[in-house]
Amino acid sequence: MASSSSDNSTPKGEPWVWFTSIGLLVGLSMVAGLLVLVLINGFSVFWAPEVPTVKLKDGTEIVGQFVQRRIRPNSPASNPQYERQYQIGLRELNVTSYVWVDELNITAEKIVPETLGLERMENGPAFLTPKTIVDSSGKQHSANATTFSIIRTEVEQASNIRERVLDINKNKIGAINAEMQEARIALRRAEDRQEPTVELTDKIKKLDVKFSELKTEAEEISKLSVKAHLEGIDAKGRPVTIPFEAIVRAWEPNRMTMLDRVGLMFSRMHEFLLDAPREANTEGGLMPAIFGTLVMTVFMSLLVTPVGVVAAIYLKEYAKDGTLLRVVRICVNNLAGVPSIVFGVFGLGFFVYVLGGTIDQLFFSDQLKYNNNTPVFGTGGLLWCSLTLALMTLPVVIVATEEALSAVPRGMREASLAAGASKWQTIRDILLPASAPGILTGVILAMARGAGEVAPLMIVGVVKLAPTLPVDGIAPFLHLDRKFMHLGFHIYDLGFQSPDSDAARPMVFATTLLLIVLVVCLNLGAITIRNRLRARFKGASF
Amino acid sequence: MRELKISYKITFDKNGSRVLEPSVDLQYAEKISDNGAPILEAWSVRGSEGRLYICRQQKDGHDVLTGRRLTERKGLSGKAKVTVSEPFSIAADVVDLERVLVPSTADSLLVIRKTGEVRVYQNDGNTFSLLQSFTPFGDAKDPHIDAAGFIFGNVSVVFQGNQNEEVVWSLFPQKQADGQILRRWGETHQCESLAGVGQGVFPAAGNKCYLSVAGGRMQIRNMTNGSIRWEGAAPASPIKQVVFSRNYNRLAILCADENVYRWAITDHHPEASWNTFFGKIWYEGADGPDYTWQSSSGSDEFEAKYSLVPLIYGTVKGTFYALLFAIPIALLAAVYVSHFLRPEWKLFIKPLMEIMASLPSVVLGFLAGLWLAPIVDTHLIPILCVIAVLAPGALLAGYLWSKLPQRVRRQVGPGWEFAYLFPFIVLCAYGAWHLGPTIESTFFTVKDIASGQNISDFREWWRQSTGLSYDARNSLVVGFVMGFAVIPIVFTIAEDALSNVPNSLISGSLALGASRWQTVWTVVVPTAISGILSAVMIGFGRAVGETMIVVMATGNTAVMEANPFNGMRTLSANIAVELPEAAAGDTHFRALFLGACCLFALTFVVNTFAEILRQRLRERYKMN
Repeated sequence: MASSSSDNSTPKGEPWVWFTSIGLLVGLSMVAGLLVLVLINGFSVFWAPEVPTVKLKDGTEIVGQFVQRRIRPNSPASNPQYERQYQIGLRELNVTSYVWVDELNITAEKIVPETLGLERMENGPAFLTPKTIVDSSGKQHSANATTFSIIRTEVEQASNIRERVLDINKNKIGAINAEMQEARIALRRAEDRQEPTVELTDKIKKLDVKFSELKTEAEEISKLSVKAHLEGIDAKGRPVTIPFEAIVRAWEPNRMTMLDRVGLMFSRMHEFLLDAPREANTEGGLMPAIFGTLVMTVFMSLLVTPVGVVAAIYLKEYAKDGTLLRVVRICVNNLAGVPSIVFGVFGLGFFVYVLGGTIDQLFFSDQLKYNNNTPVFGTGGLLWCSLTLALMTLPVVIVATEEALSAVPRGMREASLAAGASKWQTIRDILLPASAPGILTGVILAMARGAGEVAPLMIVGVVKLAPTLPVDGIAPFLHLDRKFMHLGFHIYDLGFQSPDSDAARPMVFATTLLLIVLVVCLNLGAITIRNRLRARFKGASF
Repeated sequence: MRELKISYKITFDKNGSRVLEPSVDLQYAEKISDNGAPILEAWSVRGSEGRLYICRQQKDGHDVLTGRRLTERKGLSGKAKVTVSEPFSIAADVVDLERVLVPSTADSLLVIRKTGEVRVYQNDGNTFSLLQSFTPFGDAKDPHIDAAGFIFGNVSVVFQGNQNEEVVWSLFPQKQADGQILRRWGETHQCESLAGVGQGVFPAAGNKCYLSVAGGRMQIRNMTNGSIRWEGAAPASPIKQVVFSRNYNRLAILCADENVYRWAITDHHPEASWNTFFGKIWYEGADGPDYTWQSSSGSDEFEAKYSLVPLIYGTVKGTFYALLFAIPIALLAAVYVSHFLRPEWKLFIKPLMEIMASLPSVVLGFLAGLWLAPIVDTHLIPILCVIAVLAPGALLAGYLWSKLPQRVRRQVGPGWEFAYLFPFIVLCAYGAWHLGPTIESTFFTVKDIASGQNISDFREWWRQSTGLSYDARNSLVVGFVMGFAVIPIVFTIAEDALSNVPNSLISGSLALGASRWQTVWTVVVPTAISGILSAVMIGFGRAVGETMIVVMATGNTAVMEANPFNGMRTLSANIAVELPEAAAGDTHFRALFLGACCLFALTFVVNTFAEILRQRLRERYKMN
């Protein structure tokens, strides 16, 4: 740039310095923008805003929660017109839960205090004006400003009953089913080998009896709440009757105080984190996916840590410097650059079909023979997912461990050797403890990468809905052969395979928020540990 | 004419093995032709209208064809009502009929004359009318057709000539003289035949292979890719009939000497060849050889197409757009952070970049597909304006800054440029965003076909003026979002390389009076260039293998267009989408593994090269 002879001369190329700063600026805004976007959209899923009653030009009304506003398709770019999306719920009456309304069609928007919001077991939420409440004792109440407490107690009661039924259906009957399956296989084997089958048939009969007993018990319990229901009218004036057993949660969106809204938000978050999904995964909670992700990640780190640490110790401490070591180093770094999907393909081809197939042949030939050739380990599952990701994250751990080992001050190493310790003793007692935080950093980074990875898992055993958890109360407690749910895959499946993408959207954003929080927290943890480690060895002489 | 129904009863004997008991029932009996001549050949085929019976007889010294239709209508009572048409003559104009080919669909039939001419007659509901005639070996000395046979699927015919020639003719859309595009027969493949007189062409069932017999030898060939699957000696006596098993693992040949010869076929992937995966192949029904990936379809007779070329093209395209966006930003940021930014900021920037690198790609893909793509779709021009204004805006800011009096400039120390640039750039971007609609209506106004009005819509303009497609989930979206994955990696490695440049070099340059920019541009960047190169290559490797973003943010159509406004199908996305559904061990499954191998090879080569570069660089620094 031009420089003048005056005092105001600037160093040459100053504009280019500014030019380079645009790179940083764009990078920072991208991260910040993404995090803000995910945070806002994620949290707004749990928030209960006021629910307006919208009057349209043709005289009809809709009651629904405002979702988003966008430019109407095919509206001119110079004079864009907008449309709004409302969640009106009541899918059994309205067919779709979400409607787009042209802004030009809206004549008025008002807040009606009576509006009642209901989250239901199926057919999406409902927004209606309550008229009559019939409680579990059969008593009728006509709805007014004070009857919300009755609704709330009834909903609570119904949900208690639902939980008891669920407990029977899932846990108790699930255990019987597992036993039954085993007994049937044993029976088939016994028949095949012409061994006595009396005991087994007896056992199956007993289990059958137990099964039907539990079934009737569940039915008895669920009968308790049949009578209680709520009558109201929707926005179009149609009468709606909703039994309390179908209601998950009720709230008065236009009467609530701020505190109530926060309370509702926490109640929804609680459900999100600890409950099972409903309605094709678009409602309810994420517990199986969270649990699956956690178990898989922990199991993966158990597999990857010893191997990675041992490999790094060998590379760093024992291997002789030379071409071979260089090649190994290049390969390790290369492994880090191999696309994750390739690991998935390898996992499927080698782990699942070769290893799993062999395991099935060797140890589960009975199961194969007497259970319609259903593979046990010869299909995708938790073990193979963990192994695949362990292989994928191995370089992360190796590199981190090597770095941590090199960061140990030379003085410590030499002092130990001078005091007469052998090389192995030095490694075991001096180097490993000193580099433990560094290794931990690597493991955490590996976990963060594993938790967020989806592509290889899709191939080696993650499913969109797993009936059982990989860890439960049925022996052997940890079921390595089971398929499981995963947060990342949940996002993919809900966002792109769900038939009702509007209904799935909030859930996807919430899941995204959770996954981002998980990954960012893991990363921050790793970074903190690393910074502490650096500070610890800063003063030491190298 | 009699129709027999053969049914099989499956029973299991004591040992658990399956026993088939065929039974034969007479369905109808009707005279097919009443001219009294003996029937030489007869066909019975089921079309959409009903059954068609054709017989070949010799009459007055030449062969004639007679057809008869049988339609069966199920009444309400469930009892079938059968009507039989009067016999009608087919191809009556052919006096030197030699061979007749009847496809099982009954929509047309091919009559081969002794002169080597092939006449195609189309079933028009009543009778058969001439559709097309051609002579496959018209250029040869003797155009006589020795043998011919339909290939499985009934849209291709293999003709054997007597000059060691074998050609395949197929039905595919062709432009006629009057400009119409109609499905007509045309030559699609030419292959070297076995030497000698052609003795027959016999199709396999279930795939596009056929047995071609000539001059005492026989070959199993794949029609589509032309590969020879097997060759061997043919039985000595003339072949009367050939049957392939449905799953292409047995072959039985009945000869004139009343012997049946049986072969077992071990050829699990007859459709695989180098050409299939990497070459142009003329598939049935296509209007020319092309690179196609299409692994599944609803139809049984569908032939899977496994060209990896469009996938590799898509991979390279996606990577190109990702790098186009990510590399400048990452490298600029690396230069700025390593040599201009205040060091205390570095402690904040580097972890942030690490977090950016660890953002799950499924999240990025979801946001790209469901959040960004609709926005880009409606605000494309404003967004492009904002992107275009960033670089000149920053330069302008720097220029204006350097024109400020030194007093003002001294107020803020070096290393804070980005903070001052921020409001200025936001202002520029804001202006550009609002300028967008004006630019769109000035330059991109087109006539809307539906309403006939002039509208300013870039998407429509792009479609009309370039003839290319415009998709909401396009390469720009992928490129931008892939930036999240690529930027931090490239940044981290490049920043390392730049900040590891020995201080002595920098101090030397500064001491000689070079400005900080001159030092960076002429000393630091050239010294670290191999590290920067390696950063770019590792970024390339990451972009090549990125899966979820591409799966979710593109339409996943395997097209080969450089068009930035449509999608692509990459190798990785293809594997992720198709592998969960592929049957283990079949050709599709292995083709996907081959795709993974390509991907691995690509990244392996690039990463190894990058790693060697980095190690070189490290050693050079060591010496200094």
